[in-house]
Amino acid sequence: MRLTTVLAAVLIAVVLQVTFARYTVGGRWAFDLVLVGVVYVALRWEAVAGMVAGTVGGLLQDMLSGGIIGVGGLAKTLTGFATGVVGTQFVVAKPHARAIIVGGATIFHRLIMLVLQGLIDQKWPGLPWTAMLGETAINSVCGFLAFHLSDALPGAMGRGRMSRRGSLGRRQW
Amino acid sequence: MRRRTLTLLVVICLGHVMLISAQVQSKSGVPVIEDVAFGTLARVQGLAAGMADAVSSVWHGYFALHGAARDNAALRQRVVELEGELQAERAKSSRTGSLEEALNLQKSLAARTLAARVIAGNPSPGALTVTIDRGSDDGVEANMAVIAGRGVVGRVIGRPAAHAALVQLLIDRSAAAAALLEKSNSAGIVAGGDPGGRLRLELVSPLVKIDLGERVLTTGQDGIFPQGFLIGSVESIDGVGKDREISIRPSVDFTHIEVVLVVLDRRPSGHEQ
Repeated sequence: MRLTTVLAAVLIAVVLQVTFARYTVGGRWAFDLVLVGVVYVALRWEAVAGMVAGTVGGLLQDMLSGGIIGVGGLAKTLTGFATGVVGTQFVVAKPHARAIIVGGATIFHRLIMLVLQGLIDQKWPGLPWTAMLGETAINSVCGFLAFHLSDALPGAMGRGRMSRRGSLGRRQW
Repeated sequence: MRRRTLTLLVVICLGHVMLISAQVQSKSGVPVIEDVAFGTLARVQGLAAGMADAVSSVWHGYFALHGAARDNAALRQRVVELEGELQAERAKSSRTGSLEEALNLQKSLAARTLAARVIAGNPSPGALTVTIDRGSDDGVEANMAVIAGRGVVGRVIGRPAAHAALVQLLIDRSAAAAALLEKSNSAGIVAGGDPGGRLRLELVSPLVKIDLGERVLTTGQDGIFPQGFLIGSVESIDGVGKDREISIRPSVDFTHIEVVLVVLDRRPSGHEQ
C-alpha cells in the first residue's frame, strides 16, 4: 500500500461527494461517495489501508459538515477495517461481488452512525429504512461503476496504445 | 491477522472516542482543525464547482437551446408580472411607512443582503449543509440568516473561512427558527429533521385553530432570522390537542439551491432587546 495513493483516492472521493451533493441537497437521494472510496481502498489494499482511508475520509467529512468531529471518522474507520477483513476472507474479485460488499458496508456504516448519534444525543433516533435502502442502492451502483472502470480502464488504454502502435507499424511498412 | 493491525485499530478508535467526548463535554468543536480543513477544502470545492458549472453551461448554452425561445417568452411575461407585483409592494410599503411615522414607531428597514453561490453540497448524508462562496472577507459572520427568493434557507454555522462559509439548512435535524402562523397570529418553533424534507411546527398552543395551507413566517425572536420572512405553509395536521403534529412544507425547494442571499444585518433577539 502506498499512503499517497490511499490519500489521493480519499480526497478524490471527498471532492466528488461535495460536487455531486450540490445537485441533490435536501433531496431524497442520499449517497456517500467517501464511503465508496473507503471500501474501494479496503478491498484493493486490505484492512490497514481501509482503516487509514476511513479515518482520513471520515474526519474530513466531519470537518466539512460542521458537526462533532470523530463520529464519521470512527464509523468509517470501523467500516474500512471490517471491509478489508471481509475482502481477505472471501474471494471478491468481480465488480458485482464488490458492489454487494459496498451495499453491506453502507448498512454497517449507517447503523454505527445511528448508534453513535443515539449515544451522543441520549435519544434513539429511529431507523430511517427508506433513506438507508436508497443510500445502499446508490452506493452499490457507484461502487460497481468504480470497480468496473478501474478494472476496464487500464486494459482499454493498453489496447488503444497497441492499436496505435500497430497502425503506425503498417504505415511504416 | 497481525497483532500490530489490531493494536492500530484500537488506538485509532480510542483517539476518535476521546475526540468525540472532548467535544460533547465542552459543547464546542475543534476550531483550529476545522478552520484549516474548511478553508483549504473550500478552495478545492470552489474549483470543482467552477468546473461542474463550466460543463453544465456548455451543455445548456449550446446543446440544449431548443426550448430557449419558449423560455424567453415565458420569462418576459414573468418579468412584467413581477414588475406589477413590485409596484403594488412599493405602494404598500409607502403606506406602511406613513403609518409608522404617524404612530411614531421605529422604522422597519429592509435588511442588507449579499448574494452567494452554492459551491458544495452536504459532505455526509446525515448533515444537511451547503457551502457558499462568500466568507469573512465579504462580511459574513456566524449565525447570519440565509434566505432565497422564496423564503428562509438556513443560517451560517461555524467560523466562516475567508471566501467560504457553511450554511445549515432549516431542514437539518438540529436546525430551528422562531415562527408565527400568519392568520391565527400564534407563535411556535419550526424545526427540521423530518425524513421527507418537511418541517415540524412545535410549541403552538393546542387551542389555536390552524388551517391547511396557512403561511408560516419568521418572528425575528430568535435573533437570527429577520421578522416576516416566509418559512413555508401548513401541509398536514395529525392528532388533536397536545399530541397535534403540524407538518410544514418549506417554501424553498431545497433540492435546487444555486444562489442564496446572506442577510448581513444581525438583529438582537427579543430576549436581548
